[in-house]
Amino acid sequence: MRLDIRYRTTFIYDDVVTESQNELRACPIADEYQDLIRYRVSVLPSTKVSSYTDYWGTRVDTFGHRSPHVGLEVLAEATVDTKPRPQPAGACRPDSLLAPDFLDLHGEYLERTPHCDWGKAVADLAEEHVAQTGPDVVGRVLALHRLVGTRVEYRKGYTQVGEPVDEVLSHGYGVCQDFAHLAVSFCRSQGIPARYVSGYLFTRDETVLDDAELDDDEPVRVQTHAWFEAAVPGWGWFGLDPTNQQAVGQRHVKIGHGRDYDDVQPLRGVFSGAAGAMVTPDVEIRRLAMAEVGSPALPGRLLQQHQQQQ
Amino acid sequence: MASELFNDYDTEGFFDEVFEATGAPRQHYSALLKRLSYFSAEELARRERRRDADFRNQGITFTVYGEDEGIERTFPMDLMPRVITAEEWSHIEAGLEQRVTVLNRFLDDLYVGERAAIHDGVIPWWVVTSSDGFSREAFGIPMPLGARCLVAGIDLVRDGNGVYRVLEDNLRSPSGISYVVENRVAMTRLLPQMFADTPVRPVDHYGRSLLGALNRVAPASASDNPTVVVLTPGVFNSAYFEHVFLAAHMGVELVEGRDLVVDDQVVYMRTTKGLKRVDVIYRRIDDAFLDPVVFRPDSSLGVPGLMSAARSGSVTIVNAVGNGVADDKAVYAYVPALTRYYLDEEPILPNVETYLLWDPDQLASVLNRLDQLVIKPVAEAGGYGITIGPAASDEDLAKCRADIIADPRNWIAQELISLSRHPTLIDDHAEGRHVDLRPFVLTSDVVEVIPGGLTRVAMKKGSLVVNSSQGGGSKDTWVLAPTREDLEAEVATGSSEARPGSAEVSA
Repeated sequence: MRLDIRYRTTFIYDDVVTESQNELRACPIADEYQDLIRYRVSVLPSTKVSSYTDYWGTRVDTFGHRSPHVGLEVLAEATVDTKPRPQPAGACRPDSLLAPDFLDLHGEYLERTPHCDWGKAVADLAEEHVAQTGPDVVGRVLALHRLVGTRVEYRKGYTQVGEPVDEVLSHGYGVCQDFAHLAVSFCRSQGIPARYVSGYLFTRDETVLDDAELDDDEPVRVQTHAWFEAAVPGWGWFGLDPTNQQAVGQRHVKIGHGRDYDDVQPLRGVFSGAAGAMVTPDVEIRRLAMAEVGSPALPGRLLQQHQQQQ
Repeated sequence: MASELFNDYDTEGFFDEVFEATGAPRQHYSALLKRLSYFSAEELARRERRRDADFRNQGITFTVYGEDEGIERTFPMDLMPRVITAEEWSHIEAGLEQRVTVLNRFLDDLYVGERAAIHDGVIPWWVVTSSDGFSREAFGIPMPLGARCLVAGIDLVRDGNGVYRVLEDNLRSPSGISYVVENRVAMTRLLPQMFADTPVRPVDHYGRSLLGALNRVAPASASDNPTVVVLTPGVFNSAYFEHVFLAAHMGVELVEGRDLVVDDQVVYMRTTKGLKRVDVIYRRIDDAFLDPVVFRPDSSLGVPGLMSAARSGSVTIVNAVGNGVADDKAVYAYVPALTRYYLDEEPILPNVETYLLWDPDQLASVLNRLDQLVIKPVAEAGGYGITIGPAASDEDLAKCRADIIADPRNWIAQELISLSRHPTLIDDHAEGRHVDLRPFVLTSDVVEVIPGGLTRVAMKKGSLVVNSSQGGGSKDTWVLAPTREDLEAEVATGSSEARPGSAEVSA
């Protein structure tokens, strides 16, 4: 499926900013399930952008601006082809999780991290559900994935970035990051390596995948999305989206993965001079015909509007 | 013994740096002992008081953490120096060169190389990734000449047989070199005649040597005269005195994070004449505080955009980011294997026997004899968090046991080394006190070991903890030149880089 993605974040500072330095992780990763056809980043006010590939394999665009400015707009445009993903087949015995070579390679995906720092309640609940499944890693991952769906209800604005997973489980509300962090924590607590994935999801509502909209020409307005991948010994990384309770498929566009949100945060940076900023993130995704390549967007729309108002 | 200082001196069965088991002084101490015998205890005490006043007046202090507030202390220097023979030193020097070369190879292999040592099974990958010092943010950042630990401080101890062993590697911001230099200045003032009898190799060229090494790792974009700065967290840091010292001895600017800015991936320093481009930053700030864009967003000590600039190769950060993985105390246990792997050589300086506690067999055996071993947290420096089995209370041991079981990767156990002792002036006489040695090693296109290093003394009777932050003292450390002619040649060239005895110098 060919998708055209426009990621745009606009900062309107509450005062003149003299310096800002940023890192953007918005570029779809090229891997066996995704081909990256086109990617372009532009920043307003006009700024030189450099890029590198980080430890996790994610493309990072870095840019700094060091003259007085009142706003900043970052626009990343990508065209990507997504391919169908196979599901793990056949049983995988849990004792294969303990094989020294497997542990050595996946050790960093078993550790606690700031956003996946689970307590006893999370581990106990996960253990209880794992005990009810047969001796099969894939079955256990699916059980834990469903468990997130039954325990957490999607609610925007209820949680902040960095909501502890224990809290999410106890109050039972969250957004995609919370679903993903809890799923990762469930898996790790049961010795299943798991990683957090940042990406885009082609849908009007990230809690459901409605196939009717696939025929629609209209772009959908979304935010960046998050899901998780669990390591299945002898098979590979198995992607599941706990927010909508689906396996990861062709509508999922992966940016990158890490131990938790902090490793793949879409945009991080600092600015000096102003106390705060109004940040407007916005992602537009459109389905293209396979031969089509997205046309460059006009950058600076929001920023220009704001500057005209001043 | 000529002097009353040593009337009741007893080596108590320890390896003593000055006296053999028979009680006879070692040959390389004879001149020193003779000189000391001319002083009365009162005279030495008078000179000690003068030393204390000197150090305090010059602000040669450090701050102790963990007590109420930060307490500023002088680092007491014992008036009796430690002496190392030329022969002994050449062994130590070769061992340090080898060790630091291996550690640099390992770091470069991890961060910009193929991770060959991992693929070839020399050290498990998870040991690397579970190390707090492993910095994924440093991944792919190049270091000119591969000198990722340009400044290393390697802690050595001598065991009961007098064998020098590596106790710890310090590859992030090893401190103490300022005391090495200042102790020597103080000794030449307090006991000047001693230097007349003894060919002591100099240490005062450290600033020049460090600056030379820093210049050699400057980016290709730098001029022949690169701009080097020392980056300090500020006056509240325990080693601030040393930061001032280093900048002064190199003749470069001492800056804080707010004095630097990054523009278009280039670092500049704010000066009264506008911005000046910076090529090399000798930073004494921890990794986590260097750049709020990449590390802790709440850090105000660092420079936003610095890591991006370093990645572009426009500026060199020294020591490189992420060196903590190689001085992790669990990784330490693999250094002998890494030495064989990278250099195909046996380690010249052995490790202390170390047990890795994630291995169930080693764990069980360690828990059985916890009261005989030393237990250390893997990522701490400065002697914090150590439990010394034989000296610990039952309560301490129980807590230590619980800590280990809760997180075995976070601890190592080591055999207790009966550290060598050195006579140390206590009131009006000499008593044996345990000592270690931290030599400083500079790596650029060559490896240079500063002769001697910081000898630290556990001032409390019987104590094995020598860290300055734990109330230790220090000694001036004399490495003897083979002959006075060698010494004169070394002084003439102004550096220990051209080694005594080399054809160039003796010609």
